[in-house]
Amino acid sequence: MKSGLWRFALMVTLLCPTSQVWAGDHVFDAGFDHRAEGPYSDAEAARFLTQATFGPSRAEIARLRSIGYNAWLADQASLPASHHRPYLEAQAAAGLEVYQNSRQEAWWLHAVTAPDQLRQRVAFALSELLVVSDQSGAIEGYPIAMANYYDLLVDGAFGNYRNLLENVTLSPVMGHYLSMFKNRKPDLDANIRPDENYAREIMQLFSVGLVRLNANGTVQTSGGQPIPTYDQDTIRGFAHVFTGWNWANCPRDQGGQWWEWEYCPSGPVDWPDPGWDAWWLVPMEAWESYHASEEDKQLLVYPGVALPNGMLTGGGTAASDLQAALDNIFNHPNVAPFIARHLIKRLVTSNPSPAYIGRVAAVFANNGLGVRGDLGATVRAVLMDSEARTLPSLASNAGKMREPLLKLTHLWRALDGRADDGRYREWYTDYYLSQAALRSPTVFNFFLPDYRPPGEMAALGLDGPEFQITTDTSIASVANGLGAKVFYDWRGNGGQQPEDIVVDLGPEVAVASDPVKLVDRYDLLFMNRTMSDFMFNTLVTYLQSLPNTNTGRRQRVQNAVWLIQSSPEYSIER
Amino acid sequence: MKRRDFIQRALCATASSALFTSFAGKLSLAHASAVSGHRLLGSDYRALVCVYLYGGNDGFNMMVPTSSAQYAQYQASRGALALPLAELLSLNPSVAPTGGGSFGMNPAMPLLRNLFNQAQSPLAITANVGPLLYPISKAEYQAGTVPVPAQLFSHSDQTLTWQQPNADAIDRRGWGGRLADMFYQTNVNQQLSMNVSIDGENVFQAGDQVIPYFVGQDGAQSVDFVQTWNPERRAVFLALRDAAYGNALQRQYASVMRRSMDNEVMINEALDGETALGTVFPDTQLGRQLRMVARLINVRSPLQMQRQIFFVGLGGFDTHDNQLSDQAEQLAELDGALAAFYAATVEMGVDDGVTTFTASEFGRTTSVNGDGTDHGWGSHHLVMGGSVNGRRIYGTPPDLSAGGPDDADWGQIIPTTSVDQYAATIARWYGVPPGDLGTVFPNIGRFATSDLGFMAPA
Repeated sequence: MKSGLWRFALMVTLLCPTSQVWAGDHVFDAGFDHRAEGPYSDAEAARFLTQATFGPSRAEIARLRSIGYNAWLADQASLPASHHRPYLEAQAAAGLEVYQNSRQEAWWLHAVTAPDQLRQRVAFALSELLVVSDQSGAIEGYPIAMANYYDLLVDGAFGNYRNLLENVTLSPVMGHYLSMFKNRKPDLDANIRPDENYAREIMQLFSVGLVRLNANGTVQTSGGQPIPTYDQDTIRGFAHVFTGWNWANCPRDQGGQWWEWEYCPSGPVDWPDPGWDAWWLVPMEAWESYHASEEDKQLLVYPGVALPNGMLTGGGTAASDLQAALDNIFNHPNVAPFIARHLIKRLVTSNPSPAYIGRVAAVFANNGLGVRGDLGATVRAVLMDSEARTLPSLASNAGKMREPLLKLTHLWRALDGRADDGRYREWYTDYYLSQAALRSPTVFNFFLPDYRPPGEMAALGLDGPEFQITTDTSIASVANGLGAKVFYDWRGNGGQQPEDIVVDLGPEVAVASDPVKLVDRYDLLFMNRTMSDFMFNTLVTYLQSLPNTNTGRRQRVQNAVWLIQSSPEYSIER
Repeated sequence: MKRRDFIQRALCATASSALFTSFAGKLSLAHASAVSGHRLLGSDYRALVCVYLYGGNDGFNMMVPTSSAQYAQYQASRGALALPLAELLSLNPSVAPTGGGSFGMNPAMPLLRNLFNQAQSPLAITANVGPLLYPISKAEYQAGTVPVPAQLFSHSDQTLTWQQPNADAIDRRGWGGRLADMFYQTNVNQQLSMNVSIDGENVFQAGDQVIPYFVGQDGAQSVDFVQTWNPERRAVFLALRDAAYGNALQRQYASVMRRSMDNEVMINEALDGETALGTVFPDTQLGRQLRMVARLINVRSPLQMQRQIFFVGLGGFDTHDNQLSDQAEQLAELDGALAAFYAATVEMGVDDGVTTFTASEFGRTTSVNGDGTDHGWGSHHLVMGGSVNGRRIYGTPPDLSAGGPDDADWGQIIPTTSVDQYAATIARWYGVPPGDLGTVFPNIGRFATSDLGFMAPA
């Protein structure tokens, strides 16, 4: 292995200074106010864009460097939201059959090309929190409705979490997925009780979690045991709250008869018109006669809780009970560290320090203007925290495994992957990437936030959520899938069809006569210049052994990209 | 110092993958003497197959009381979800279950019903099993005077509680992993993990020394672009894979890749040389998974495996809605896949050495929420194999009446048998000496017996 000095010598042949140990770039910038907040190098810009988008491109690195983080974030916040539902509706209007694969096309199109990258990336992170999945038979037939649900997340990405929680709760998609739709008040004679499904998961997975947290996300214990956030009585209380919700605009005589509740005559129908039904796109509506009004409902208890002892007294309407219950959840102290932890783990690192979680949670709790739940401010705090913006040492074990889906968005954004007909027919990637948007096996997402692989990481107490889907089988399938995208699916390869998504190797091949330059280009684009000297030199030596011909240069590019994307150093982003 | 503590400290002091490997090697040597008592000679074969039913299978609609008084209780509790008496497939146990009464099987399960009823039956049912810390009565539960597992009724937590012995809720070792730690050195083949999952990641199989290996329904997946036809690229890939990395996540990724590639060659070579089984498996999720288990058992000799623990899984049991039709589909899949798997073990002549059992995070409430049920607690479970004392219902079938003595409050039925007892009975057959049960199941001493009787003597 050659020394870092050797590598440094190679670098001076390049136009831009690159090595992270060389701070000339940084020094040069000192004193320029407009970029006082950075980024101070291409590497820093690439690293930020890895966390804030679906992958850096050379153009975006240059743009971020020229305007700085603050202007970039302000620009992203001001961009109109790119919605997914219109893509499906346009296909339907054009007479195409619309299934879940159309929704996935929309997702790929936006992930790879939408200008509002930060919003789209945060929406994806939220889709791994407020989970619905087309693997559920209750919603798989309704792709437009699910795209509309995704758009709730897109719209909510910089909004207030309280509003998002309400929009999600009243979405017929969530209503069907976690069976709050048509959940009804108890009938003790028939031994019928309210469905507990949504009551349980909104607390466990969407807001407060199972155990009490300190403001920095650490677990509160009593006698060495974690303190539960709620108990079965609380779940029953919320189960009663979430009763009485059905399709919007159902005709109702005399406040709603049972057959109307059940079948919604001349109103919304599930069949034979799946997916196009407008009722799926508007919030559910309350039917008072099916709401458990009279019972007192035990809600969450916590310091400062507004309801005395967390008890919601009987007599409320479906809507007033729902508002009170969502307020009760939203104001629980756990929500701030819970959401902070989720966003940090999705965007930055698997093992944040408690201090980092605490700083982000504090912004969630109060955005500086006295507003709680401001996701835009929270996302900004996640990204601009010193722990996010400082390249961690290797020994700190900071960083995260790249989600397989994000490896492919990264490839296509870096090498302009697209089909001539403009569509992204990248359907059902869970088959080989173990992930596809809104397609997790269960409401517990593709992986649990605190998953620890057995062995060294478990012994060291390190979380690695993405390792839960990194099995002996999937690690090979992901490598194979990414390989196919770069070895076979490139523009100009024989037999290419207008619908084939292909990468553009042209600009890459132009650089490939100099393997040092090529690897350096990818060190920035794919690894924000964290590539070890060992890996750098190993790749350069190998690429130099390939002939400097048209075909050889293309193979240099393909091998470099694939060997990087399947390597341990790339797979763990830092 | 406890062994686990030592490992923890050793690992914490470890900086590189190379060091990690050498430590693990030394630990294996040190550990060998401790487990040598379990080392088996000869050609015997024993395997466990955990069939995990994700979502919480409604055991109370899988096996239903048919005697009039008990059926009436069931019908009153279940209302519209009660299966009609005439449709239930009658079970003819050779010994009356505790509390007497007769029982029938869900009509979606004719094959398993027949296995249960046959002479020399390989199928037993264990009634009302669930996670417990101590035996507990309704009064004790409601008064809160006896501790119960944390986060009852939560999917993720009760999945953990089922798969790892209760006392260690903090760590992530399952009882299948603990068994494997005791027995893995029995196998001549020390490269392939003793624990193989066909359904991905799970806690059940995670041990200290033994880390489960994951294989697909059709065999092991190779990394296509590093085959021997491109030795130069392969060499670079391996160099990057095998370098010493300073970050534990990088080391983890590299180690999964290494294990994946090493085992793929070994497994696919063995499967390529397999004499195909005559048993036909249903082309279902579970059927395909159990077919792969059968195939791996079929090549146990070339793979040089004598002790194995397999994990398969089927989702979709969280029947909050549409329970009658949804659960019937799931149970039919279970029925077809388990029956085929048993037939395959008979075909291979290893039925006495293979024990298959169901697990599921909880049963479901006897109360209903319209057309579904909610998360319960205890449930009935199936144990199948040539060493099972079949045609019997073990444990104590519960009172299913609303507000009855077994109803925790809202239709969650308090388990009368703990998961530890169920698991310990299987572990004893697998070869754990009674005196060592406590190291696998730290709470087992709190319960009346560690042997429910459904397994033949080890």
